[in-house]
Amino acid sequence: MTQIDTPAKPLDPLRHDTAFTVRLRRYREISGTILSNPTTVIGLFFIIALLCMAIFAPLLAPPNVPDPYQMPRDWGAVRSPPGTPGHPLGTTNQGGDVLYGVIWGSRTSLQLSLIVVSVTVVIGVCIGSLAGLVGGWLDEALMRVVDIFLSIPELIFALAVAAILGPSFTNIILSLCIVFWVKYARIMRAQIILIRQADYVQAARVIGDTRFNIFRRDILPNAITPIAVQATLDMGNIVLVGATLSFIGLSESGIAEWGVLVSEGQAGIASGRWWASTFPGLMIFIWALAFNLVGDGLRDALDPKTEDKR
Amino acid sequence: MQLRDYIIRRLIILPFLVFGVSVVVFTLTRIGGSPIGVYLSHEMSAAEVQQLEERFHLNEPLYVQYFYWARGALQGDFGYSGVASAPVSQVFWPKLAATLELSVVSAAVAVMLGLWLGVFAGVRRNRWQDHVTRVVAVSGASLPLFWFGIVLLIIFWANLGWFPVGRSDADIWASMPHPTGLYMLDSILAGSWRGFVDAVWHLILPAITLGFGAVAIITRMMRSALVEELQQEYVDAARAKGLPERLVLNRHARRNALVPTVTVIGLTIAFLMQGAIAAEIIFRWPGLGRWMASAVVRGDQATIMTYVLFTSVLFLFANLVVDIIYAKLDPRVRLGD
Amino acid sequence: MNAMNTVTPAPRIAEVKGLKVHFQSKQGRVHAVDGVDFDIRDGEMLGLVGETGCGKSVTGRCFLDLVPQPPADIAGGRVLFRPRGGKACPDCSGKGCETCGGTGAETLDLLNIPAKKMRQIRGEKIAMIFQDPGKALNPTLTIGAQLSEVFLQHKSHELLEAAGVGEGDRGWVAGSLRRQANQREGSFDRWARRFPPLKGPSRRLQKALDEKVAAALAETQIPNPRRVMTSYPHELSGGMRQRVMIAQSLACDPDLIIADEPTTALDVTIQARILDLIKMLQAKRRTSVLYISHDLSLVRKVCDRVAVMYAGRIAEVGTVSQVFTDPRHPYTQGLLNAVPRAGTRRGHLASIPGTVPELVDPPPACRFVDRCPKAMAQCRGADPQLLPVTEGHDVACFLEHPREDTAPETPRLETA
Repeated sequence: MTQIDTPAKPLDPLRHDTAFTVRLRRYREISGTILSNPTTVIGLFFIIALLCMAIFAPLLAPPNVPDPYQMPRDWGAVRSPPGTPGHPLGTTNQGGDVLYGVIWGSRTSLQLSLIVVSVTVVIGVCIGSLAGLVGGWLDEALMRVVDIFLSIPELIFALAVAAILGPSFTNIILSLCIVFWVKYARIMRAQIILIRQADYVQAARVIGDTRFNIFRRDILPNAITPIAVQATLDMGNIVLVGATLSFIGLSESGIAEWGVLVSEGQAGIASGRWWASTFPGLMIFIWALAFNLVGDGLRDALDPKTEDKR
Repeated sequence: MQLRDYIIRRLIILPFLVFGVSVVVFTLTRIGGSPIGVYLSHEMSAAEVQQLEERFHLNEPLYVQYFYWARGALQGDFGYSGVASAPVSQVFWPKLAATLELSVVSAAVAVMLGLWLGVFAGVRRNRWQDHVTRVVAVSGASLPLFWFGIVLLIIFWANLGWFPVGRSDADIWASMPHPTGLYMLDSILAGSWRGFVDAVWHLILPAITLGFGAVAIITRMMRSALVEELQQEYVDAARAKGLPERLVLNRHARRNALVPTVTVIGLTIAFLMQGAIAAEIIFRWPGLGRWMASAVVRGDQATIMTYVLFTSVLFLFANLVVDIIYAKLDPRVRLGD
Repeated sequence: MNAMNTVTPAPRIAEVKGLKVHFQSKQGRVHAVDGVDFDIRDGEMLGLVGETGCGKSVTGRCFLDLVPQPPADIAGGRVLFRPRGGKACPDCSGKGCETCGGTGAETLDLLNIPAKKMRQIRGEKIAMIFQDPGKALNPTLTIGAQLSEVFLQHKSHELLEAAGVGEGDRGWVAGSLRRQANQREGSFDRWARRFPPLKGPSRRLQKALDEKVAAALAETQIPNPRRVMTSYPHELSGGMRQRVMIAQSLACDPDLIIADEPTTALDVTIQARILDLIKMLQAKRRTSVLYISHDLSLVRKVCDRVAVMYAGRIAEVGTVSQVFTDPRHPYTQGLLNAVPRAGTRRGHLASIPGTVPELVDPPPACRFVDRCPKAMAQCRGADPQLLPVTEGHDVACFLEHPREDTAPETPRLETA
């Protein structure tokens, strides 16, 4: 057949469609796409603001001695409304300064999400790679474990684990680590199986690359994109779930954590003391929203199959 | 044929998954501590404690303990709930009915509203209605449910006094029999209009709280699926046949956009079960979730075990139903691969 | 020189005049189609050839108002269509005037008619065959259901007749049947259809419909049409799907078919058979076809006339013999040189140097100037006009029609 499509430039077999060129090209597109999306930029702005709040917490609110993560108690100003001198956002039933809780709560949330996300990503990537690369009975066995974990809704599983470990903030972190790795293992395994079929990996295999080299250079960098998206979404999601666990009562009371503060403020709403729940809850919302916006933006930018394809 | 085989296969696998879940949860509970904590009191002598331990086979190895627990569970004996001060099996059904009433109503409203909003926004892509819907949907997915409920309470209960908390007015509840445990249904059966209004009145705030997140998730999915379908060539092909836009949308684009959305609707079942815990705490709704929350705080192992098992079975069945609907909607789907 | 000179040319069924379609992109306005003129005569097969991205598909889609706006913007021009057996021109009652181009027949500007009128034309007067039948058929509906839609949309009165519902029939049963035939039925209608008195006539309607669908499928030489009707697109081969697509477009015996690269997505072995089928059915019904393709040898084989398109403009139009034996435009010449022949030696495939120009806010100039071996100074600064070189053979090139400095400046629309 004679077709008059302009012939493409001759393909350079060394450069055409290698993992490296594909990646380079996409990173450039991605950064452009991310910054052109206004909602993503708003999300990024919020994330930076929240991170600043967490980092500069000791400057914004003088730390409580001896433990800055414990709410300070001002027994002389219990239940004061917002605007009280020294307590711009009011105080709780136990005289805790709501502003202090809001500010130091960002540190608690940052700790919680960073620890859980990094631990679960590592566990998930390891288990997923093991299953995907080794295959056979190991894959079968690991995936059945994953199936079992996936048949219990996340929050309920975490709730049960945290309850068994006993009520404390550390145990919330631990229980979330136990529950949240599953998704990453699944993504990793699926990506390995998908990418293994791709042309450039087949090509690398033909060239005679070692298995490990293929994994390190071709598979890992490509599998990392969906994991990065999931991790960004989880940064927000884990704070949401962690705060829910605290709210239900699985943290020590009195710590500067947003879920705990909402729970403590709940008692006062019948008597019109709305502030103690409202502000910390708003912070959880902003935190989760910020990471969701950026995670969505990242997914749209990374996924070639987004809605604006034409 | 294909579908039937798949259902049978899944039904065979299901008990194994439930077994796996029970092993995991059982092991975890036993690591956490003794299940007899709820029975112990300071006045008991060492001999009495040991007697209890023997009754619960705590002197036996773990797998034997599991065997005893599983045998009990199969016979309908799920242990004694310290929180409810009654056997688990006895208090389970009335509490389930309360949770069911709440979650079914919010699920039904959420699915209908979510699908409608998703289509509404997807058809008006990039117009202001679309932007507003998207903002609401994105915020809905990030909203802490327990906080949203409290804000609703602050506004509509504490300040305006429009809605009550709890599940019912005590007098009206006592005035009628409760054969099903579903308050709305019971009031209809008893022919009590006042009871029905009372049931709906108490249901509104918790149902909004619980359903909002689900609406957000479904709306988002339906919108992006519809936008994607509307760009498919078969949509243009349908227009090229001369079909009016009504049929292009309803028969072609919307139907196909439902396929990915159905999966998300299945996930919202889990979302609702999780959300019910917080919603029931806030609105003092006497359901499974609130029971679980107290059990969690007080270490009531029998309740935790039963609740987790029940949710996972429900979740697995929901996923099976989703798969079946999925296969019905899209003939290309080959299940089980 | 050729037959065209002696035989009175057939009436023009469609005319594209100065069509401009622009796309708004981040880089600027892309002039995808920028002043395209050609006409389609009754019963002929016109080939529209060009490279990928030269605007030929967009041009074809303009006939059926299938260009999404936004991002597209129809910046100017007209697409005129004269349906066969149409009424007399309402402006001059058949005497011939400017509206109808002197033909006296009803002339519709497809870019400028109400949506309702366009829906009546789509599928009945003008039909479309899409490039990839795998994408153009809805994956979740059976073939039968998708073909039925065409008949229900345009032939509902015939179906109602078969069911025994007359024009003036009133009552609930006739109403329900009418809803069924007009695709407006509700769930209650669907339920009530299982019982008398609706059961009988509803079945007759369905039977008439199924017969029409089966006949349409049989006409495209599909074996066992009844079975194909109940299958889904993914259960058929690519060639079968394209036969279904063709059956669907021919269903209402349209006057004009827009075939947008109908064989590109198919296996080479199937292509020839589908092509033969299209040619055979076209010859049988004397349907006019706009055959969009990037494949020169294909167009040469099946078409009567050919229009060569380059970068949003028509470069050359003429009969197949005129264009292929006596190409005047350097682009056409380059294309024909690039076609390998039996004598072409191994490794000596000619190609046109350079690449297609960017179409973002192009300056007035011949679009081919940067790749043209015969480019001259006058090729820049003004757009070449499509003018006749011989009877029925038009070329847009300054080689054939040198620019006169006295000639009025080419009319250009302000498009900033």
